[in-house]
Amino acid sequence: MSSPAILRQSEDSSMPAALAEAGPAPAVTPPATPPSFGTLALRWYRLNQGRLRATAIGIISLLAFLLVWHLLTTYRVVFFVRFTNVPSPLAVYASFTKAIHDPKFLLHILLSCRRIFIGFSLAAIVGVPLGLIMGRFKLVHEIIFPIAEVLRPIPAIAWVPMAIMLWPTNEQSIVFITFLGSFFPILVNTLHGMSLVDPVLVRAAQCLGARERSIFREVYFPASLPHIFTGLTVGMGVAWVSLIAAEMISGQYGIGYFTWEAYSLVQYPDIALGMIAIGVLGLGSSVLIRGAGHLVMPWRSTR
Amino acid sequence: MVRHLPTLSIAMSVTSLALLLAQPASAETVTLGIGTQDTTTNTVTAGVVIRQLHLLEKYLPKDGKYSNIKFELEWQNFTSGPPVTNAMMANKLQIGMMGDYPLIVNGFTFDSNPESKSRLIGIAAYSLSGSGNGIVVHKDSPYYDLADLKGKLVSVPFGSAAHGMVLKAMQDRGYSSDFFQLVSQSPEVGSTNLQEKKIDAHADFVPFAELLPFRGFARKIFDGVETNLPTFHGIVVRTDFAEKYPEVVVAYFKALIAANQWLRDNPKLAAEKIQEWTGINKEVVYIFLGPSGNMTTDPTVKPALIDAATADVKVLQNLGRMKEFDPKKWVDDSYIRKAYAEMKLDYDAQLGSTKNYEISGEDTFCKKPIADPRKAGEVWVDDAGILPFSSASCTLGAYADFKAKGKKINVAYVFDTTRGIKLFADQAFFAVGNGEVAPFLLKKDAEAYAAKISGKVLGFDDAVKAAVSGGKT
Repeated sequence: MSSPAILRQSEDSSMPAALAEAGPAPAVTPPATPPSFGTLALRWYRLNQGRLRATAIGIISLLAFLLVWHLLTTYRVVFFVRFTNVPSPLAVYASFTKAIHDPKFLLHILLSCRRIFIGFSLAAIVGVPLGLIMGRFKLVHEIIFPIAEVLRPIPAIAWVPMAIMLWPTNEQSIVFITFLGSFFPILVNTLHGMSLVDPVLVRAAQCLGARERSIFREVYFPASLPHIFTGLTVGMGVAWVSLIAAEMISGQYGIGYFTWEAYSLVQYPDIALGMIAIGVLGLGSSVLIRGAGHLVMPWRSTR
Repeated sequence: MVRHLPTLSIAMSVTSLALLLAQPASAETVTLGIGTQDTTTNTVTAGVVIRQLHLLEKYLPKDGKYSNIKFELEWQNFTSGPPVTNAMMANKLQIGMMGDYPLIVNGFTFDSNPESKSRLIGIAAYSLSGSGNGIVVHKDSPYYDLADLKGKLVSVPFGSAAHGMVLKAMQDRGYSSDFFQLVSQSPEVGSTNLQEKKIDAHADFVPFAELLPFRGFARKIFDGVETNLPTFHGIVVRTDFAEKYPEVVVAYFKALIAANQWLRDNPKLAAEKIQEWTGINKEVVYIFLGPSGNMTTDPTVKPALIDAATADVKVLQNLGRMKEFDPKKWVDDSYIRKAYAEMKLDYDAQLGSTKNYEISGEDTFCKKPIADPRKAGEVWVDDAGILPFSSASCTLGAYADFKAKGKKINVAYVFDTTRGIKLFADQAFFAVGNGEVAPFLLKKDAEAYAAKISGKVLGFDDAVKAAVSGGKT
């Protein structure tokens, strides 16, 4: 625990020395001009080679996906799977350009994001502490676990009538369904993380005289953080999955509602557009969570 | 024992192989998928009745090119039209039934299908005056007319026949598009929302505008008759299937005609059976499909319905939901004409007739025959059956009489005095005075009529008392 502090101190002490050395030197080494753009780019390229490669491959595979989709739909391929009436990427793009000029579409997306944000945040705020407590105290675990296990497999769409009856406003019902979607993955993964905490660490902390609160803060929480973040990522995914069911209630706005309405009016390109929008938004929110994970767990971000 | 087994198994595999090889030569199996809407009561004679009574099996062709074809019927039930269209597009269903707006969307969607088009080949049931669709509010709400709903939250399944009714009603009354806060909710979601008072009104198609009041938490404040635009549920077929097996489509219509006949032969039994098969209360089924009911089951494709469809297309075009579509070119009545001809029935006579079957018989309470069925009434007594009465006051009088005798009454029906639609008596408003008892769906109609006859408006219980005392208030 104390080693980083020592290290920092030694760095600090060495800094002035280095500065002092560099002070009178400029005359000796005049070509200290900033490195040329080419070398900078090269250095940046070397540093980020792996990531660039991944991005390039990612873009190529997405383009290939679009191309395959395009070919399958233009030639209306029927090979067990039938693409006869699946909308082509161009048709979806056309409905996208139409949608993007419609302020309503933006509203659909904004409202859905807000619902997901609230539902997911609530799930995280309730799910993580509950998981930690259930992992630590056997009695709480024994009380809550059976209920959670019974409720967990119920699909979002089955919750629709109950959600309407439970909550006074529709907005709350919708948030409730997205909450349920993300709550269980978060809870289960937190529990899993707790069960994997090395008991030796706990005992060591106890021997060193740590109290319950500090053990929680210093041992259990950090040790189960990776699993908590796995739970958050999965939970975010499921929150988007349950969106269409949730927004069936809304009847007006939301990207899930947009997709549902397109279905009830049998507009295939709009259905595909809604699906893709949900996919992209889901991807975006997963990236955000992963970013947060790197911030909270810097010791893991080197990987 | 053990030694015999190999020989036996070899013998068996040889025979099964021989059977397998022989199969394709002897019989071909063709799957016919039919998409029904069991809960949408006015499509039942085209769907669930045919299925349950095995009528299609009875009429399927078996000779000529069909001697080697075995049809496997696959019935699929949906709660609304769009999923039927979706499954038809995917060729999982070949025949489907749905309401007018979804039908048009079906025809339009198929226009861009390279494999097959869809054709409107017959009608399950219709109402020329547009009854069937309706708008309901919570029974405790203070709304009695569409105008009361200004700025209120009204939900309707978008793209349904009920949606069309709402748009037409708004157009008729000159309401701007933001007069209501109109949102889209499926019947299931809308019903729950209405029960929980989270929406102010819910507009829906058959049978919800009657079913929700019957279930006791809603009140109908608008009936499709006020739009005076015909509404119907029709039958569409994939042309690739119909062209390959036209005789099967004809057989389907023979089954439909038989199903309609079965319904009219014994409407009470039919209502009870349909309740058993679909879960919709028999009293609600009967208000639509019983004699003088709000729906006419008649499979002929009437020009008035196609004109209505043309008007519906305009509504959808104005909403930007549809491009060019001509309903006239989409109709194909050749199959149903053939079915009529083969059953020795006169298609053109039926086409020209818009008559429903009506209440008839002898009024046992007022002791006179039923002269005008749309002024009559019926009382459904639990053990005695459904009894007709010649007028609203006779109906209410008989109702009180049965009650006094301790009989159990399911429900009583009367007719709206001006619009002629069948009503649940206990939901109606009665203008009573001058020895007259006139039932109305709408409170404002009852008030206007009461002012005319200088009487007053009563609820059901008071109207029954008034009827017993001879129409005095």
